[in-house]
Amino acid sequence: MDKLASMLHMTPAIFWMVAKVVIVFSAIMLLASVWTWVERRGSAMIQDRIGPNRAAIFGKIRLIGLSQLLADGIKFFFKEDLVPDDANKGLFWLAPFLAFVPALIGFAVIPFGKSFVSGGVTYHLSVLDPGNGMGLLYPMAIGGMAVYGVLLAAWSSNNKWSILGGMRASAAMVSYEIGMSLAVVSIFMTTGGYDPADVIKAQGHLPWAWNIVRQPLGFIVFFTCMYAETNRLPFDFAEGESEIVAGFNTEYGSMKFSLLALAEYSHLMTASALVATLFFGGWQVPFVQNPTVMLSVASFLLKMLFFAWVFVWVRWTLPRFRYDQLMHLGWKVMLPMSMVNLVFHAWRMSQGH
Amino acid sequence: MGVLVKKVELSWLDRTYVWPVMKGMAITFEHFIKQLFTPTSKRYTIQYPDMKKEIPEGYRGLHELKRFEDGAIKCVACFMCQEACPARCISIEAEEFSDLNITQGFEEKRPAIFKIDMLRCIYCGMCEEACPKDAIWLRKEYEVAAYDRLSMQYGKWDLMNTYAQADGKDRISQDPTPSVPRRTIVM
Amino acid sequence: MFITFALITLLGALGMLLQKNVIMAGLCMVAAFFGVAGLFVLLANPVAAALQIIVYTGAILVLVLFVIMMLNSHEEEKAQAPHPIQRWASVVFVSALAFGAVKLVLGSSGVKSLAASGEAMPQAMTLQKLGFALFADHLLGFEVAGLLLLAAMIGAVALTKRNL
Repeated sequence: MDKLASMLHMTPAIFWMVAKVVIVFSAIMLLASVWTWVERRGSAMIQDRIGPNRAAIFGKIRLIGLSQLLADGIKFFFKEDLVPDDANKGLFWLAPFLAFVPALIGFAVIPFGKSFVSGGVTYHLSVLDPGNGMGLLYPMAIGGMAVYGVLLAAWSSNNKWSILGGMRASAAMVSYEIGMSLAVVSIFMTTGGYDPADVIKAQGHLPWAWNIVRQPLGFIVFFTCMYAETNRLPFDFAEGESEIVAGFNTEYGSMKFSLLALAEYSHLMTASALVATLFFGGWQVPFVQNPTVMLSVASFLLKMLFFAWVFVWVRWTLPRFRYDQLMHLGWKVMLPMSMVNLVFHAWRMSQGH
Repeated sequence: MGVLVKKVELSWLDRTYVWPVMKGMAITFEHFIKQLFTPTSKRYTIQYPDMKKEIPEGYRGLHELKRFEDGAIKCVACFMCQEACPARCISIEAEEFSDLNITQGFEEKRPAIFKIDMLRCIYCGMCEEACPKDAIWLRKEYEVAAYDRLSMQYGKWDLMNTYAQADGKDRISQDPTPSVPRRTIVM
Repeated sequence: MFITFALITLLGALGMLLQKNVIMAGLCMVAAFFGVAGLFVLLANPVAAALQIIVYTGAILVLVLFVIMMLNSHEEEKAQAPHPIQRWASVVFVSALAFGAVKLVLGSSGVKSLAASGEAMPQAMTLQKLGFALFADHLLGFEVAGLLLLAAMIGAVALTKRNL
């Protein structure tokens, strides 16, 4: 590693930083695009269909439908980049980026593996080293930013359906963020710290000490709110294709649309990484006290991809909520539930457990 | 006229919403696993250009104008099918012909032009019902498509050859010189 | 770094004032908030930065934009021309406020500690410290603010809901 760094005229620390950024973000983008394939094939399997399997490289290599990704990418690139006449051009162009960037950088604080020491230097496997002071507040702050992409995409298209979608998205986001935050706060409380590294360390390697067992109510609230935050079914009100055409991305086409779709899947990846970190012990390997670095990374990836798959799974199981049902669930069920969770854990802590 | 909607009383377990969701997830997961371990050829999906659905008996597909064994057209241009056609897609022009060998001095009728507009045809099978000579059949071919409207006008020779390949017969493009006296042929 | 964030903040604030389009003005406000959050990070207070983004950009501005979109008025309402006295009074009032704020900040212990070095350098803010500040040092103020907000909420509901 040091040799590579000196070849690129960088200090090892800077090289490590750059390498982490490049690897993590490209991995997430790759996973996000692969997840579009998982979504399509998975939905097909769930509905007893086959799914996309016709695209082939040179008419031969089909890779169980994976070459569809390539075909889609090429198609998106060569599609005409349409901008509606009455759209707000600048914002219309900006919105996909505003959706994409927060979805991607939210991952930055999450440790995806065990820290290791090499040559007297501790290397942390997260883009932002622990102890940055932001901790888990950061992904929540960034998650709150994600709605701007949807909102601006909706508003700048100057389309009634889009605006309806954007309004629904912003309302859902605001109402579910509170329940989610309270669920996270009770984890901060029991952990005694809000750095993801602390949260993981406090959970330990035994599955029954993980937060899912300690705070099942908090998990239900957090997981449900994550669906609203990422705009996935059963809460995908921003899109709602059976009601408001395609919601916020009605007017989008070509690469812009593809960027919006990628943003959705990156968001999904970040959300599932958060769930794995907060409730399932992050990179901890069950029953292994001191896992090797590779094992811990694999464990984290496995957990994250499992939750990403649950996102897909739920999408093809549950129908979309009605708007008033969403608000009812958010304010009258999720918020009290997370309150109860918070108060219960505060009481337990005051009892000295 | 009002409709009485029966309200189902949900048990407390169903009202938590979490348990029914889990049940639903179990069902979808079962389907997923089942489908995952079924080989592609055994799944419900028929992968169309590679695989084709088995067409049931009595299916009404593309028409065929039947011919005798010597290749002569069975149709006698009686216009019954044209009359019966509800979509008015058949147009026939008759002609007379005589052949000493066959018609023994009489004049006989046959279509000079027999045209079906496949864009108008509704594949109802009325022409088949109406035909006194059993000369027009609707069979199992269903891939009737073309790049332009003109090619969807099937003429006499097109219609006589529609199933030539499937039946292993030669394609014909002119009235053959009949060799068998027509009246002796039993249909 | 400071110059960048300060520029973002100032340009955002300026844009918010000058933009005719309400939504664009809102977006400029987002930029300004981001600049302020960056400044908080530079002041070794990442917690304040995160809270700034969660509360202001993530919740309040989204609600504001939501309301703007819901009303969706393209026609600009003509503002009543302010009375000269109003105008001058506002200038005096705002500059007095600004003067007071600057004086308060310059006199506070935080600014003095900025010049300090070594052991006396202020530690980075953490959530724990924030919690102690809120619930131990300033408990009364916190509770009063909470009560006020509750009263405001009940008042808003009572005013808008016609038949309770």
